Order: sequence, then C-alpha cells, then structure tokens
Amino acid sequence: MNEWDDMELATLQDLLMTGFLRGGLYASMAVGLALVFGVMNICHFAHGEYYVLGAYGAFFAFVTAGFNPILSLLVASALSFLAGAVTEKLLFYPLRQRSKGEWIMNAFLLTAGLSVVLQSSYRVFFGMKYRGITQYWNTSFQIFGMRVPADRVIAFLIALVAIAGLWFFLKKTRSGRAIRAVSQDENGARLVGINLDRIQTLTFALGSMLAGLGGASMLSLSPAYPFAGNKPLIASWFVVTIAGLGNVGGAIVGGFIVGIFESVSYFFLGSGWQEVASLLLLILLLLFKPTGLFGTQIKSVWE
Amino acid sequence: MQRDINMLESIRNGGRRVVDRLSRLGFSPPIIFLLVCLAISPLFVKNQYVLRLLVVSLYFGILAMAFDFTGGFINAVNFGYAGFVGLGSYTSALLAVYTGINPWLGLLIAMGITALVGFFTGLLTLPLRGIYVSLMSWFVGMTLMALANALVEVTRGARGLIVPPIHEPDSILFHLYVLLTLLIVIYLVLRLIINSHIGLAFKAIGQNYDAACASGVNPTRYKLFNFTLSCACAGLLGGYFAHFVGIVTPDVMGMGYTMEVMALSYIGGSGSLLGGVFASFLLIPLFDSLKKLMEYRLIIYGLLLILVMIFYPAGMNGLYLQLKQKIFQKKGTPQ
Repeated sequence: MNEWDDMELATLQDLLMTGFLRGGLYASMAVGLALVFGVMNICHFAHGEYYVLGAYGAFFAFVTAGFNPILSLLVASALSFLAGAVTEKLLFYPLRQRSKGEWIMNAFLLTAGLSVVLQSSYRVFFGMKYRGITQYWNTSFQIFGMRVPADRVIAFLIALVAIAGLWFFLKKTRSGRAIRAVSQDENGARLVGINLDRIQTLTFALGSMLAGLGGASMLSLSPAYPFAGNKPLIASWFVVTIAGLGNVGGAIVGGFIVGIFESVSYFFLGSGWQEVASLLLLILLLLFKPTGLFGTQIKSVWE
Repeated sequence: MQRDINMLESIRNGGRRVVDRLSRLGFSPPIIFLLVCLAISPLFVKNQYVLRLLVVSLYFGILAMAFDFTGGFINAVNFGYAGFVGLGSYTSALLAVYTGINPWLGLLIAMGITALVGFFTGLLTLPLRGIYVSLMSWFVGMTLMALANALVEVTRGARGLIVPPIHEPDSILFHLYVLLTLLIVIYLVLRLIINSHIGLAFKAIGQNYDAACASGVNPTRYKLFNFTLSCACAGLLGGYFAHFVGIVTPDVMGMGYTMEVMALSYIGGSGSLLGGVFASFLLIPLFDSLKKLMEYRLIIYGLLLILVMIFYPAGMNGLYLQLKQKIFQKKGTPQ
C-alpha cells in the first residue's frame, strides 16, 4: 500500500516536472506570438513554421556541420531571426502598403498561406523524414531525487533566458522602447520619429527567433520534420488565449499552465484524447473568457 | 409585312427580357453557355479520368463558392471549413455503415448536423468581431479532426472508414450530373439570397460594420444565417463526396483542404461566388494532369493566395470584369 502511494507521488512529480519544463518552451513561443500580435496586429498562424526552421537549422549545424551545442543554437536563432525579417519585408510590408480592407483579417489569411507554403516547402526540400538527435549534452541532473536529462533542463533555462533577454531588450534599449511605443500607440510613435517599418520588421524577426530557438533547444525531445510546428503552434495559441491576446506577461504564466495541463491530461487520457481535451478547453475558454484570464489591452479584436 | 417586323421586334424584346432576368439571377449568357458545355461534355468525352477530374473540380468549385458566401460577403473566414466538410462526410458515412438507412436521407442528416454545429459555432462567436470566428472555427475544425482520430472504435481512426456507394451501379456520369445539379441549385439559392434585402445587409456588414449597425441592421442574425447556410453546404458536399470516394479518413479535415478551398475562393475573386468555381476548373485539372506538380500543389496554392491577397484582391473575377469593360469600351456600347 505504502509502495503504491510512493509510486503515485513519483508519477505526479514526474508529470509536473515534465509539464513545467515543457511550459518553458510554450511560454517563450507564446511570448513571441503575443509580441507580434501586440505590435503588428497579426494573428500569427505560421509561428510553428519558424519553430521547425529553428529545429532544422540546429540539426544541420549540430549533426552535419558538427558545431558544438551552443553554436548550433545560435545558428538556429540567427537563421529564424533572418527568416522572420525577410518574411516581414517580403509579405507584410507590401500588404501594409496596399491593403485597404480589414488589416487583421488580411494579415491572418496571409500567415495561413505562408504556413502552408513553408510546410510544403520543408516537405519538398527535406522529405518526410524525422531528423532528431539523442542529446546535446551527455549528462543529467538530479532534481527532487529524479534524474532529468540535461537537455530538458537546459532547454528550459534557454527559454527563461530568452524571455528575460527579451524583457531586458524591451525595457532597457532604445529599439525595445520603440517597440513598446508602437504597441501602445502607432500614430504617437510615428509622431515622435520612430521608424515604423523598421520596428515592425524587428518585431517580427524577434518573434520568429523565439520560435526558432524553441525548436532548436527541443531538438532532442521532438525531432525536426515538416509538420512538427503544428503542435507547438496550437499550444502557443492555447497559451495566448489563456493569457489574453497581446499580453506578454500573462503568456509566461499561461505557458506553464498549458505545459502542466498537457502532461497531466496526456497521462490520464492518452495522446488522442489529450488533444481533444486541450482543444475543448480552448474552445470553452474562448467562449467564456475571450479576453483571457489576465485580460488584454487590445479591445479591437474581440468587440 | 409590318406585322412580321413587329413580331420579330417583340420576340427580340422578349428574348432580351429573358436574358436580363436570367442575368439578374446570376446566369448571364456566358455562364449558361459554360454550364451547357459541362452538361453535354459526356457526349464528347469518354475518358473516365477526364470525367473524374470534372467531378472533382465541380466538388471543390462548389465548396469554394459556399466558402466565398461567408468569406467574401460578411468578411468572416471559416478557418475550419475542412472540419465541417469532414463532419458531413463522417456523419453520412457512419449512418450508411452502422444504420444502413437510405444514403440520400443520410446526406440530409449530415447536412443538418453540420449546419447545427455551424450554427452553434456562429451563435457563440459571430456577435464578436472578425478574427474571433476564424480562430474559433479553426479550433472547432481541429477538435472534430482530433475526435475522428480518437474515436477509433467508431471511426476506425486513421485507417479510415469504408463507405458504400450512394447509387448502384456506381457510374461517374451519375456523379457528374448530381454535382452539376448541386452547383446550379446552390448557386441559384445563394444568388437569390444575395439579390434580396438579406444580401444588402451582408454587403453593409462586410463593407462597413459600424455603419450597418447604425442604420439598424442586426448584424449577428444575418451573419449567423449566412454562416449556418455555408456550413450546411459543406456538410452536404462532404457527405456526398464520402460516398463518391468510398473512404473517409481524418485527413480530409486537415488544414490542407481548408487552404485549398480558401485559396480557390480568393484566387477566383472574393465576393464573386462563381470565381471559385472557375478557379477550381482551371487549377485542379492542371495540378492533376501534371503529376509532378502534385507535390508542389500546396506551395502553389499558398503562393497564389499570398500574391492575390497582396497585389490583386479582386482575383480572377476582377480580371474578367476588367476585360469585359475593355471589350465593351472598344465597341462603344456602354455597359
């Protein structure tokens, strides 16, 4: 009897730990999503594709080129940052210049098209092959008496560092302050001489970089393949829905909630029903709390 | 002599009146000509493969049209469209497999259930603005797909459900004529709605939401009606197509199909109804005949969608109108 209780406790602990570590990834991806939405008013549907890009980048840097883990992660982040900047300049900039209709809807459709194009391109270029690694770092940590592979912990730490870095960037640097200014009042920002085009490109690139870094740091847990971005995309949408669209701070808390919810429901329901449960919860949240648990400043979307 | 001329004149007038009336119903002479061509095509085309392509093009064309009815008119994009189509497919397939009721009745039930789910999705989201309904229908579509995957005992999960044919003997000509009839009927219904005062309300809502509210239009009711009808079409078509293909898998609810329908409707021209049908007849045979393109199909769809959205929102319909205007200008007849 006592033994059984111990096991239960161990499973619970394991579940919470897994969820918590996974939550770090969701938080960092959702922060990117929230940033892009808050500044550019884009409901980013292709966020998962930059996650996959980061994963591919890290895979080729780590395995093919034989770089060390840190360098591989840097390569992946740089790649997705660049890809984000190019996307913004190629697609959203011209749309902003020409679009006469409702911007939110048009931009959303554009990201949907982009998502399909990127996913299919990955499939054409890399094939439907899983490209994963066993681990970046060949050690493990002892946490609460449990052995946790180093990769998980480090991926979590990377997510935290990325979020903290972004926070620092937004609060302390000139460009970061400009980003926040644009998210608060576009016209006001233009009046004080902020170059809107540059800020929007920078924002989109930063958001993509957060996704890419997430994909790269999770490479040993979930391998890179063309449709790998779907799950993190749904999860990070889940997070921003919980947190309230555009609420960057809430996205961090939301990330952990979703991570733990996923690992617990996965344990009790199995993979198929876990997805159903997540989506149903998401729908209920959208219905009863469309502005999220922590509220949002952006009213125009919902009303 | 004089009487003959008078009679000729009145016949001509009568003919013009008929053409006018048909045009107002959306059946202008070129459209009637194309529909007749399609109807008599089996006389000249004996190749099963080509006929099958026509059937598939018709199917996607009608879906694009029904999609455009919401996307192009009330500016609410149903992002889970494939999910609703798949719901129709599964309903009609499960009814046929487990209860063995008349498949035509099954189609109606599939249409009803899909409309019901659409109704509730709309009821809860359409009072809110724009993007909300897109997000919600996306989640609903994904939930439906996840359910089809998870309910293995009922749907056989990813292995797919075998669906009996709707009509014995199962001939491609039969499907061609059924879908052609569906195209004409659905088009007529949608066009009649758009021509009525309801259509005016749609336009008001789609173009300027606040002005529509201010002038006394209750947007939610109109949007809900529109959304439900579009979902009902999806259910009907999905149900029929399941019988045509003979198997349903959860994949039919995937994002790829929503994208395909969405791309067709936007490439055809948002708010034109028939634009999507033309785009479908142009693109689907093209992709299918060039097998090499199949792999790049979604890339091309996505790129076309992006290009149309950014550079030419009027789509093929806009191109056609421009061309028509030019021709009439040359002739000197005002249009």
